[in-house]
Amino acid sequence: MALGETAPIIGIAFADILFVMLAAVMLGSALMVVLLRDIIRSGLAMIVCFAALAGIYVLLQAPLVAAAQVLVYIGAISVLILFAIMLTQTKAGPARLVFQTQSAAAAVAAIVLALVVAVAVGATDWGEVGERMHTATDTLARVLFDEFVLPFEVVSVLLLAAVIGAVYLAKREESGPS
Amino acid sequence: MSRAWGRLTLPGKVVFTLVPLLLVLSVALVIVIAVFGGAMLDILVANVGIVRFLVAVTILLLLAPPSAFIIIYMEMKIIALMNLRLGPDRVGPWGTLLSTVHGLKVLMKEDFTPTGADRIVFTWAPIVVFMASVMGALVIPFAPGLIAQDLNVGLLYFFAVGGLSVVGLLMAGWSSYNKYSLLGGLRSAAQMISYEIPLTLSVVGLLILAGTMSLNTIVENQGPWFTDWYVFQQPLGFVIFFIAATAEANRTPFDLTEADSEIVAGFATEYSGMRFGFFFFAEYINVFIMSALLVTLFLGGWQAPFPFPELHIALDPGSLGIWLLLGIAIVPVVATLVLAAPFYLLRSSTPWWQALIAGFLLFNVLAVGAVLGIAYVNFDFVAGILWFMGKTYAFVFVFVWMRGTLPRIRIDQLMGFAWKWLLPASLVNLFVTAAAIVVVGN
Repeated sequence: MALGETAPIIGIAFADILFVMLAAVMLGSALMVVLLRDIIRSGLAMIVCFAALAGIYVLLQAPLVAAAQVLVYIGAISVLILFAIMLTQTKAGPARLVFQTQSAAAAVAAIVLALVVAVAVGATDWGEVGERMHTATDTLARVLFDEFVLPFEVVSVLLLAAVIGAVYLAKREESGPS
Repeated sequence: MSRAWGRLTLPGKVVFTLVPLLLVLSVALVIVIAVFGGAMLDILVANVGIVRFLVAVTILLLLAPPSAFIIIYMEMKIIALMNLRLGPDRVGPWGTLLSTVHGLKVLMKEDFTPTGADRIVFTWAPIVVFMASVMGALVIPFAPGLIAQDLNVGLLYFFAVGGLSVVGLLMAGWSSYNKYSLLGGLRSAAQMISYEIPLTLSVVGLLILAGTMSLNTIVENQGPWFTDWYVFQQPLGFVIFFIAATAEANRTPFDLTEADSEIVAGFATEYSGMRFGFFFFAEYINVFIMSALLVTLFLGGWQAPFPFPELHIALDPGSLGIWLLLGIAIVPVVATLVLAAPFYLLRSSTPWWQALIAGFLLFNVLAVGAVLGIAYVNFDFVAGILWFMGKTYAFVFVFVWMRGTLPRIRIDQLMGFAWKWLLPASLVNLFVTAAAIVVVGN
């Protein structure tokens, strides 16, 4: 009596139940990022959102992408964002956020983005993707470093340029007249 | 009846309710197993993958506090001996139960939240830190076949999960509403992000050599002789990894996050009771797990340093028949007497009962040794776990030793060392390894 593909009573596949749960957590925490008043809590909700996204990657049989998601987005980027917020904000400072004064412009941007996404989703033919396939790590590496090695290297040069630019900006501010 | 109940102390009341409940529950469990045992076993066997995972996770969670207790005791005792003090010697033999007492004490202390603290974040921070530490143990191979989950991306998973603990430290530092806590949280974020880079880069050379990220396969590659251990092919990577792992585990000389002489206790300043206990456990579990990973990656994990000659002790107790029973009855008595005889004969001042006790203890040591020896020869996982634990605790000792020896370094030295020395060194290591593999041709 092994557990089958579908849950016993409700008749929905386990993978679908997990996906719905993860998606609910992701959307809920994404809403919290935007709606919460405390900016640190917004940042923490963003970490939850990223973690749920990593869970969806695991569900899609892409463990490498999931691990990279946790390592890079939670372990590095979110932590750096929190770090920056903590260095610049104090508890005694204004509690209301600055960016909530720009709600009209944000609403326009959100509506435009939603339209673009809706058009893109509507225009894509989803019939081809019916089957989950496991992305083996070594296959991914082979494709990345064999077929797509030129774009990969170009991206790394781009990142290098960004790093040099950041160093330049930081340096100039330090040596300039105060 | 109610008067008798009113006289009971609080622990008495708890015990008085719990014991009958446990009795009823265990009888019910026995009956359920007797009636439905076969069917339940069938279901468990059919879903062996899920069952195995749940059991492994439960065991890891249950083993975490005891291993933290052992390391805490080691730290108290070893540093005391290094300082020419006695160390713990009151509770239990040689004070071995003292860390357990610490654990119980932490459970009983008042658990308060400071005014102005962010309650939700304050509560979740210790949980995040503790879980991030324990979850790393999921991919560590303790012995052949004794691994909770042999992930294809095991090492990457380990680093990803290990990176989560910095989120917990930041949460603790921010939510405490205390400038020392905030400083500790900021320091931990800066330090762990900086040292995560050399930590990850230092094993890339090893990954090129091993050709896999599965920790189990990495261990299997490092045999059968100790010269096959990766530490001999990646000495620079080993040193970088060791230093960066010390910083990742927030151990001296890199324990600036809780530098008690400067910022009280850093992120943990406002924590009390079991919430502080979780931070405390997490630190020592981190020490264990970092040592375990170091051993797994560079020192052959559960592999013995040299292949043992194939021994087969064909012991069939059934063939002895009635002699087995007689042997079990007679051997302890005879062995105790034989082993007691030298004590009694060599020193005439020894009373006979002391000699008997000494003989009995000696017999027990020999018997346990013999059983362990047979288990070592016959079962791979016994040999594996003995070697693995031996090597791991040797490194735990080194971490404790460093805490007893080295002073804490300054924050600017810490960051400078990570970015100016460790990062270039790990890049050199990676480059040399890659070049060597290209030249040698794999």
